[in-house]
Amino acid sequence: MSVVVEGLTKAYGRRGHALDGLSFTAGVGVNGLLGPNGAGKTTLIRLLATVLTPDGGTMRLLGRDPATERSAIRRRLGYLPQEPGYHRGFTVFEFVDYVAILKEMADRRARHDEVRRVIDAVGLADVSGKKIRALSGGMRRRVGIAQALLGEPELVLLDEPTAGLDPEERLRFRELISRIGENRTVILSTHQIEDVAALCARVVVLKDGRSAFEGTPKELRALAKGRTWLWEKKAGLLSWRTGEGVFRSIGDPPEGARLVEPTIEDAYLLLLGEGALAAAG
Amino acid sequence: MTWHMDGGLATRYADGDLDATLAASVEAHLLACARCRGLLAPQAPRARLDRLWDEIAEAVDSPVPGPFERLLRLVGVRDHTARLLGAAYSLHLSWISAGALALLFAVLAARETTGWGLVGFLALAPIVPVAGVGLAYGRGADPAYEIGLAAPYSAFKVVLMRAAAVLVTSALPALVIGFALLGQSWTVAAWLLPALALTSLSLVLSRWFEPAHCALAVSILWLAGIAGTNLREPSLAMFSTVGQLGYLTITVVSGVLLVARRKEFS
Ligand SMILES: Nc1ncnc2c1ncn2[C@@H]1O[C@H](COP(=O)(O)OP(=O)(O)OP(=O)(O)O)[C@@H](O)[C@H]1O
Ligand SMILES: [Mg+2]
Ligand SMILES: [Zn+2]
Repeated sequence: MSVVVEGLTKAYGRRGHALDGLSFTAGVGVNGLLGPNGAGKTTLIRLLATVLTPDGGTMRLLGRDPATERSAIRRRLGYLPQEPGYHRGFTVFEFVDYVAILKEMADRRARHDEVRRVIDAVGLADVSGKKIRALSGGMRRRVGIAQALLGEPELVLLDEPTAGLDPEERLRFRELISRIGENRTVILSTHQIEDVAALCARVVVLKDGRSAFEGTPKELRALAKGRTWLWEKKAGLLSWRTGEGVFRSIGDPPEGARLVEPTIEDAYLLLLGEGALAAAG
Repeated sequence: MTWHMDGGLATRYADGDLDATLAASVEAHLLACARCRGLLAPQAPRARLDRLWDEIAEAVDSPVPGPFERLLRLVGVRDHTARLLGAAYSLHLSWISAGALALLFAVLAARETTGWGLVGFLALAPIVPVAGVGLAYGRGADPAYEIGLAAPYSAFKVVLMRAAAVLVTSALPALVIGFALLGQSWTVAAWLLPALALTSLSLVLSRWFEPAHCALAVSILWLAGIAGTNLREPSLAMFSTVGQLGYLTITVVSGVLLVARRKEFS
């Protein structure tokens, strides 16, 4: 396993815990990180990126301890932050080249070859001489992915790379991310449940800084099997009126309800909703 | 050219065995002669051809860097250092010239009133590098700061390199303006040690606070000192020998602290 995390805790200042005893593992392939706003996804990714240090718990990244072998981990890491900034006056090439220098690629020729390779991999070869400020948001996001691929990292951390993209662009991202995950460990945080269903070999659902679920997307969906139904009335844990006028509900079905095949989203909502009820009661 | 290549020459060229002059004339001929290119194609080892294409791609794609980076390379700074410096806003030509202009106007305006010109200049000159360093790194000033944090390159090295570059690019115009407009006395350079002291102090403070805020705080402290000693008439009390020794001490102590705590920058 390239990422093994146990009992991880992290608090900001004296406020409540952002991470509260989180444990999970991740290996080669695309690993999805789901969770509502404030669940701790970004905190976790920043810990894995060695940008933050944990308050407690243990982490092993690529077989190493980040407390003592940080540089060695950073050399094999690619990281796209949730809100990446770009030097807007740089061209695409210059910006990626800048990050490549920060990744200690000192030899200019080899570095430039690598910069061209990653720009090509995200399909930006045509605009590599364009200033970043002249790119669309989706293209800028691709610049962010390009820099995360520099130096063929074994661990790639992507914090909500598909947020705010149109459906077509998102499809292209899926294709790109699944390609990246073919031979390395990708950890992808997202609110797009469909992305998880389409891409991820494994999912971790984070809730209040803890893991509420860990397994395959199929296993996640199975949680809502027999607990998703259509009915004329509002019922169950959560329910909403569909376009056809009937209510789709999740929870414990009443007598006579028409059970339907659940989606991953149903299971995800069920998981979060049950927690919320347990906390309230 | 009236000759064409034969197999032997083509092989020797492909293997890289020709001397530079002969190789150059062969290349000039190849550019013009399809027949000899055809002769060469099966000869050229794959690796060599690939390298050739790489070179062409490098020459075509490799972008021309901005004016500041080119200037740096011209004075012998290596290309990756130039890129790391060129990424800081306060090292862009626009910022550097804005600092120099502010200094120039301050001196020109204050020169009308006797005595105040020199004080105004000496008070303002250290602020320019302090502000420049405050805006050269850190979360607020560097858009790709978070990406840089996760990269192996030493953040401390980047900070020091940028700070040094800011000091040089703001000190040179200040020295020129001072000596040109305010006379040849060394008093005109009395701001140098205060500038070093304030910059290194704000670097130390940036361990805990946003660099721009540190620069602001240190500048306000400095200006308060100047104002306090200049309540009635222009005075150079802040630039006395004792004062200069104090600035030197601050610089040295800050420097030691910085080096000792360099790990905390990443
Ligand atoms: N720099 C910070 N200072 C103080 N509190 C923070 C900081 N960053 C995050 N938090 C808090 O930590 C908790 C977890 O935040 P985090 O950003 O990790 O969540 P997230 O799952 O990434 O949310 P989102 O989906 O909105 O991006 C939140 O309660 C947040 O308010
Ligand atoms: Mg987040
Ligand atoms: Zn010929």
